[in-house]
Amino acid sequence: MSASNLEIGPIFRALMRNKVGAILIAIQIAITMTIIVNSVFIIVERSQKMTRESGIDEANTFHIGSSAFAPNFNHQVSIEQDLALLRALPGVVDAIQINAVPISGSGWSMSLQTQAGAEYDGIGSAIYMVDENGLNALDLELIAGEAFVASDIRWRQRGQTDWPEQAIITKAFAEKLFPDSEWASVAGKTIYINDNEPMIIKGIVDKLQAPWVGWDNVEHALLSPERLAFPTVRYLIRTEPGMRDKLMPEVEQALATSNKGRIVRGLRTSAEDRERSYRGDSAMIKILTTVMIILTVVTALGIVGLASFSVNRRKKQIGTRRALGASQGAILRYFMLENFLISSVGVAFGAALTVGLNVVLVNAFSLSAIDWFYIPIGMITLWLVGQLAVYGPAKKAANIAPAIATRTV
Amino acid sequence: MLKMMDVKKVFRTDTVETHALRDFNLTVDEGDFVAVTGPSGSGKTTFLNIAGLLETFDGGQYQLDGMDVSHLNDKQRSQLRNEKIGFIFQSFNLIPDLDLFDNVDVPLRYRGFSSAERRRRIEQSLELVGLANRMKHLPAQLSGGQQQRVAIARALAGEPRFLLADEPTGNLDSKMAQSVMELLQEINRNGTTIVMVTHDSELAQQAKRNIYVRDGKVSELHSVADLAAAASA
Repeated sequence: MSASNLEIGPIFRALMRNKVGAILIAIQIAITMTIIVNSVFIIVERSQKMTRESGIDEANTFHIGSSAFAPNFNHQVSIEQDLALLRALPGVVDAIQINAVPISGSGWSMSLQTQAGAEYDGIGSAIYMVDENGLNALDLELIAGEAFVASDIRWRQRGQTDWPEQAIITKAFAEKLFPDSEWASVAGKTIYINDNEPMIIKGIVDKLQAPWVGWDNVEHALLSPERLAFPTVRYLIRTEPGMRDKLMPEVEQALATSNKGRIVRGLRTSAEDRERSYRGDSAMIKILTTVMIILTVVTALGIVGLASFSVNRRKKQIGTRRALGASQGAILRYFMLENFLISSVGVAFGAALTVGLNVVLVNAFSLSAIDWFYIPIGMITLWLVGQLAVYGPAKKAANIAPAIATRTV
Repeated sequence: MLKMMDVKKVFRTDTVETHALRDFNLTVDEGDFVAVTGPSGSGKTTFLNIAGLLETFDGGQYQLDGMDVSHLNDKQRSQLRNEKIGFIFQSFNLIPDLDLFDNVDVPLRYRGFSSAERRRRIEQSLELVGLANRMKHLPAQLSGGQQQRVAIARALAGEPRFLLADEPTGNLDSKMAQSVMELLQEINRNGTTIVMVTHDSELAQQAKRNIYVRDGKVSELHSVADLAAAASA
């Protein structure tokens, strides 16, 4: 079958003379493609965001809060006793007091800069206050410099605003602070907090995310060597693999009974934090997937409807074609080709609309610009949907008997 | 050219069995012009459908151009229709969304001719029926007689050896009918074998040979008197 015998010209000319149905389907295909391609792009983006690693051992980590209410409660003593108790529990790898938990949704942030002075702009970073066990409890990999030692750790009192002299930062933050330096060489350099307070970068860890997963600086984190002598504190506990769920009630019970002057609450795993933080993204993916499926089905049904109507309307014409020598395959090809032409117009408009909608989304919601390859993939997908949808009616048309051509009714 | 021996065709429903053709015997020689008449429901159209390979049959033998067509599959039958048979239908059966050029082009594309060859044949056949200057018109822009001429051009474009006409003048007034009949006679004189089913005994008389179908069987008619008698029977 040569290209000239494929009836592209006659089909196109016939469609142009009877174009309302075809145009409606082409518009439907264009809109479907626009929404599907942008939805897939958003879904892929969200999925990639959701699968980013936080840097901590999420599967084996949980945290719990402690709020003192007793008069004359000695926070420092209580925290030291709690940490000793937690670290001694069988199955616990390590435990720390921490001011905020990665990807939990709430925490502290500060602006850090490489030159002292209020006139210089800083770069935001999450702040985690940890002791010398911080790296082990968070399961962080030190890739340059040194870890905190016990003598580095200080107590922060309520209302205290100054900062320790040392810090450990993430590699991503180091690269952002010193874009012209090799990240490994950043260890030992000085950065400034509160405009003028120097902090020497003691070490660099591979990865640690901020508490806020939607934050642009989510990969920026700074570990400050201190414990908080606050009435409300939080402990982060890392367990041996598989021990988390068993240890959670034990830890809760142990803390509750070890000191009656406080209440323990807010027992939660890091896996739950992830689920809560990404709940919006997860819901968005489900909604977009549902919309995509519904749109695809509606479009496919539209194509089936138009093709079925067209076959029923043209039964005699199909019989005549068969009488004139069209094989069943030729009739099948005719309808598939007709749909392909309609779909081609639809996906061509769809490609332009897709880019247009993406520009709107980029401007309105700060989304990324769509990658070019989504467009051809979307076009091929809609072509395939069209061909699959039209196959049934086309097969029905191919089965129309040629003898119908001689029927007068 | 066409030889049917004891051909049978039965239409069956759950409750009814209708014998459309019973031991149907007919031979049509090359270059013949046969008019087939008969009352409604006699089996004329069934005969035409079987002769044109539009329908299969249940018994007997049918040879078209020396080939036994009993065991051909659908694709082979389509190819044979396309190459050897031209059809003219009572309702013209032109495709309304295609202009005359594209209508005549339909069977030629199935034949696989090149674009240039198709164009040559389309122009030639539309010239023959006097409509070469209307190629870009749609069927709806033509009179009934002109539409039937386009259908004839479409049937002739593939240069078939065998033309089957199903009531070709049935939807035309007498003047147009005579004009179409004269065109068919000219085509026959040029060597194309024609079998024409008609109700019109006057037109039938203009064919070289007349057969009469009744209750699915053939009677050969030899004279105008026979034809008139058959028509009034």
